[in-house]
Amino acid sequence: MFRPLFQFFLLFLSGFNLIYGQSCNLSINGTISDLHDGSPIIGALVKIEGTNFFSQTDFDGHYQIQGICNGKYELTIQHPECPTVKKKINLQTSQVYNFDLEHHINELEEIILSENRISNLRKSVQEVSLDIGEINSYGSNTMVEALSYISGASVLKTGNGIAKPAIHGMYGSRVGIVTDDFRQHDQEWGPDHAPNIDFNSFETIQLIKGAAALKYGGDTPGGLIILSSNRKKLKDSLFGNSNLILESNGKGGKITSRLEKTYVNGFFVNGQLTAKRYGDFHAPNYVLSNTGLKEADFSIKLGKDKITSGWKLNYSNYNIETAILKSAHIGNIEDLFYALSSNEPRIIESFTYEINAPKQKGKHQKISFNYFSLFQNQTKLEFGYNFQVNDRKEFDVRRGGRTEIPAIDLLLKTHNLVGSLSGIKFNDWNFELGVNGLFQDNFSNPTTGIKRLIPDYLKYEAGIYFLGNFQKTNTFLWEWGLRMDRIFIDAKKYYDLSVWEERNYATQYSDFEMQKIGNQILTNPRLNYLNFSAQTGISSKISNQLKLKASYVLSQRAPNASELFSDGLHQSIAAIEYGSLSLQKEISHKLLISFSKEEGDLFWSFEPFISKTFDYIYIEPTRLKQTIRGAFPVWEYNATDVFLSGADFTSSFRFNNQFKFDLGISYTYAQDLLNDRPLILMPPLNTFQKFKFTPKKGRWDVELIHHLNASQKRFPDSNFQFNLIQEGQLVSQTVDISTPPPGFQRLDVYFSINLKSNNNLKSQIRVIAQNLTNSEYRDYLNRMRFYSADLGRNFQIQLNFKY
Amino acid sequence: MKNFQILFKIKLVVVAIALIFSCSKDDPDAVNQQEFISNVVLKIQSSDGSKQTVDWDLSEQNSQAINLKANSDYTVEISFLNTSDPSAIENITLEVIEEAEEHQVFYGFAGVSVNVSSASDDTKDGSRGVLIKSVWNADSAGSGIARVYLIHQPTDFNATTREEMGGFNDVAVDIPITITD
Repeated sequence: MFRPLFQFFLLFLSGFNLIYGQSCNLSINGTISDLHDGSPIIGALVKIEGTNFFSQTDFDGHYQIQGICNGKYELTIQHPECPTVKKKINLQTSQVYNFDLEHHINELEEIILSENRISNLRKSVQEVSLDIGEINSYGSNTMVEALSYISGASVLKTGNGIAKPAIHGMYGSRVGIVTDDFRQHDQEWGPDHAPNIDFNSFETIQLIKGAAALKYGGDTPGGLIILSSNRKKLKDSLFGNSNLILESNGKGGKITSRLEKTYVNGFFVNGQLTAKRYGDFHAPNYVLSNTGLKEADFSIKLGKDKITSGWKLNYSNYNIETAILKSAHIGNIEDLFYALSSNEPRIIESFTYEINAPKQKGKHQKISFNYFSLFQNQTKLEFGYNFQVNDRKEFDVRRGGRTEIPAIDLLLKTHNLVGSLSGIKFNDWNFELGVNGLFQDNFSNPTTGIKRLIPDYLKYEAGIYFLGNFQKTNTFLWEWGLRMDRIFIDAKKYYDLSVWEERNYATQYSDFEMQKIGNQILTNPRLNYLNFSAQTGISSKISNQLKLKASYVLSQRAPNASELFSDGLHQSIAAIEYGSLSLQKEISHKLLISFSKEEGDLFWSFEPFISKTFDYIYIEPTRLKQTIRGAFPVWEYNATDVFLSGADFTSSFRFNNQFKFDLGISYTYAQDLLNDRPLILMPPLNTFQKFKFTPKKGRWDVELIHHLNASQKRFPDSNFQFNLIQEGQLVSQTVDISTPPPGFQRLDVYFSINLKSNNNLKSQIRVIAQNLTNSEYRDYLNRMRFYSADLGRNFQIQLNFKY
Repeated sequence: MKNFQILFKIKLVVVAIALIFSCSKDDPDAVNQQEFISNVVLKIQSSDGSKQTVDWDLSEQNSQAINLKANSDYTVEISFLNTSDPSAIENITLEVIEEAEEHQVFYGFAGVSVNVSSASDDTKDGSRGVLIKSVWNADSAGSGIARVYLIHQPTDFNATTREEMGGFNDVAVDIPITITD
């Protein structure tokens, strides 16, 4: 009650002051400088609106106005090359007002554009870039699935919700994923571990075949997938997009929304949300019981890009829970035999949204900070810090109410520090130098009540790289890179005493022994690796239409935690997996060549590659082991030398303005040289064809996409014999886990209607039918092929809004 | 000057990272393996009261043979134990009995023919006997194996073969069996 009175009193006092404090001897002064490099802006006009007071900045960017009466004014600062700035002031005493103006904005936009142009030219390796919007419009549920539209890339799946990228037949730790300039660190070793990333929080996805981007590591002979955001435009604007997808298969959908605000001074902030919910998916003839999923992610990115310097701060949070086909939860080799000999999954229940064990839960959080500064001579200094926490839990069907206790519970924390100096120029040479430090801590929670599959470990990595390129003309580029990494793994692991002795570790690694506890032994394996990687390549324009790129890549990869230490049961393939301490680093040589030609309406590219890898680490079944649950095959990590070769062909032809045809063909040949047999899990010959029709009038188009996968004829024999009781007699049976399924075809149709709103932003409605013919097939690269067919027909409606 | 400031900033970050990196790791706790079964024990009693105990032990991966006489009834009580810590032997059978609605004991025979039925004091889920306690009767002399199963979440509890029963094996061990006239 007294408060308004008091405020009134204050107001009265201040008014009193104003009336009696009138004086006209005040001054303002200050400096006007360039927002980007702080240099003074000469000749800017500073005016007090509604008065005759003004001043122009001198050679130091300084201005001064004297003899102003106190009061409220509006200042305007004008310069022919800058947007005008206005500021309201309340002048009671003499003041200093400094302003940063957005100088030569057009020039800066030009720098951004040319940076992009240069980076396109400056690559001697095959690279495919996709826009995230494009990926979304194909209705792909995972980033990785979207890669199936790129020839040479394929997808390893465990059912529908879990997908891993494979490039030229290589996957897992051999394919790196980079998000916002940092490598992704999650439990990427497992074939059933999908990368914990929401691709909707990025704008472009690049696929680089071969370990050509040494900046991000030299240990990915398969290649790299780089997810990034576009550089921000220097203007005040607020925009966003929302994407809603509803699907019939899984009776669910996905919603993603993104909002971004940019300012003319280079500041930007954006936020993004994704939510997904699906129930049980279905194959053409039955429900795939327990295959639903739910996901919720968000990210916030902010920063200031002043062109000559800038910073970025990103945070992202990813949460997923995926059910795993109930029929894939099996007891031993006998159960696997029954599953293989049945045409349908053994458990088919009615549709539900429930997610029960077996299931996986993943949570990935990332925070990163980047800073860069551009010196006068265009040399760029960058550094960044990134912290990632990956929390992974896997649930099995267990006894005694323990189903809710995870069977695998891993917490992986990764700190990563990077620094680089790029744009160091000497004549036609351009160099980049960088360092990388990484510290990783894996914690395997013992409260699972199940022996750890992966032990506790600390991993230290220090790397240094040096890249250079030579470019004299626009038609020829030579580039090369060298990288060295030191890796140290410090693990603490319990072995069963019997295993420790049986594998001869007791004599070979006696210095790792710490103490014996019951029938177990605690050990401290300390392993050191020194990796050298190198790359060199040329990019040449032979004629205006024909381009040739060739590159050679040497990559070296230290074995990962799973390859070294795996120790336990992998439920979904009824396998006991053992790592091996004696594995050496993998050394891979790869040669890639790319011809591409663009001639009027026809474009094609042909990209063959050959590679040889020494000490290639792979897992193979070695024997049967009797457990209380019956016989299990033992899969052990081992090393061999392998030869891989293949080619990707892409072509696109525009008949006229209405019809366009795209074709992609990809083939990989893989041979284990020491054992003289094919390598397991290689993608078979596959093609896709796309036919697009856009009418002369009207705002719609229609696309027909045909996928063809041949049957993989080259595969190793990993079958087992075991004794089955049949009609009261023991009968020897073969468990055939080797023979790939027959080839298959799939037909998808996409129908889009473009809507134009009044501010000229395009929104879109799409109606999609996937697997239109509802054909029943099994995919060799899908681990669930042992238990069920792949997905049946799916109708999808998509609404994409831009605003 | 500006460069110097940047260098100083880098130094600060390096020191901060060094602090984070310098942590060491405690020795991990040994996992106390739960629901782990190391022994399958059959207590066999003939109608005349003579007893036989057969113990399939994981560390030895075998057991003594079961010896039965043809055409006579035996009561067989199965139990599942975790003896990996001899000072604290766990009886897992109690868990199975508690979750009777999800479990079924099943016996498969090769080389011999034995009829198995639920004993009168067997653990029941409704009218279904879990076969924790069962009655065995062998047809004729011979020798072979008894494959002892504990099946979790069978799809058909009343099936007569392992294949039709569905579910997955928590236990599957082979015990030699000899039947005399």
